[in-house]
Amino acid sequence: MNVRQLELFVSNVLRFGVMASGILIMFGLGLYMVTGDISCPTGDSSLQWILYGDPFFAPSHILFLGFLTLVATPLLRVAASTLAYVVEKDWAYAAITGFVLTVLLIGIVLGLG
Amino acid sequence: MTPQFILAALFIALTSGFLGALLGLGGGVVMVPLLVFLLDIPIHIAAGASIVAVVATSSVSASVYVRDEITNMRLGMFLEMATTLGAITGASIMVGVSESILETVFALSLLYAAVIMWYQLRSTGRSWIPKENDWLANKLNLGSSYYDSARDENIDYGVSRSLPTFLVSYIAGIISGLLGIGGGGIKVPAMNVVSSVPMKAAVATSNFMIGVTAAASALVYIRNGFCDGFITAPVVLGTLAGSFIGAKVAIKLRGVVLKKVFIVILLVLGIRMLASGVAGL
Repeated sequence: MNVRQLELFVSNVLRFGVMASGILIMFGLGLYMVTGDISCPTGDSSLQWILYGDPFFAPSHILFLGFLTLVATPLLRVAASTLAYVVEKDWAYAAITGFVLTVLLIGIVLGLG
Repeated sequence: MTPQFILAALFIALTSGFLGALLGLGGGVVMVPLLVFLLDIPIHIAAGASIVAVVATSSVSASVYVRDEITNMRLGMFLEMATTLGAITGASIMVGVSESILETVFALSLLYAAVIMWYQLRSTGRSWIPKENDWLANKLNLGSSYYDSARDENIDYGVSRSLPTFLVSYIAGIISGLLGIGGGGIKVPAMNVVSSVPMKAAVATSNFMIGVTAAASALVYIRNGFCDGFITAPVVLGTLAGSFIGAKVAIKLRGVVLKKVFIVILLVLGIRMLASGVAGL
């Protein structure tokens, strides 16, 4: 992967990530408006709940998956960049993007641990 | 959470996203105070909704800028080391801080945004002087070039004083994580004034960084329950739609009057929030 290909890939990752999460959020919000179902509490982010919901198609669980998709998008972008720099043997930038990725993973541990 | 409440949040986000895109300022800085004052949402929750919306809008605009090759991705990734660390610091501070302190800090950032905007209004047309890379920028090859379609030429530039800009980016990250805003108002002037990066490249690069920065703090917000689904959802959708329309209109519009009106709005919101914050200290 050369740098230009990386840029185009990054651009697409960002666009599709936002689109996918937008669809999830619209679906979840629409479902809530129709059913008025608030069956699972917001603010719960245990691994159990993220994976299975309670139930899975509860509006707030779908919304949460939408937010998570959105937040994962830039993360995927950084991971892709790290990989591209490693392939190019550009070690300085592989280290820099690797550092950013590590900080984000710490954020996940702080965030979802 | 009534449907009316959700529609009201959607409308506030739509307006803020529209104004933000129109004026080149992130939507969050107007949206958070409007959510707090008009819908009586606690500032922690408003900031949580805002930070997720910031990930969305900055990802969309970053995707366009990256395609157009205006973004300096190397500079962005270098500074992201500072902004993501700052974001996690800021979001962790946010968790333990009272509403009054958060409101006071937010008020100061609103007043700061007003000053920056006023300064930009006065300094339009001032010529930009390219500088050489400093030693670190040289080592990391931070300088770059982009094609300026308005001037029909390739603009080459170096990055000077990269360490001070790195440190300011850390502070911008803290503010972003603490208040749930993008923090472009700190990063763009740092790159442009301190490191002599041309304005267009600075804006594009700042946007590129904001997505990752906001994602880092969004995780901390979500975990600590400051991300209410039924407030965050309309805020994300409204901001996305608003900034999409705003970006379309902005191309046709040069709004000096609009900017002056916006400065007044920022000042009013800032003073109101300062009063509310200081009263509770």
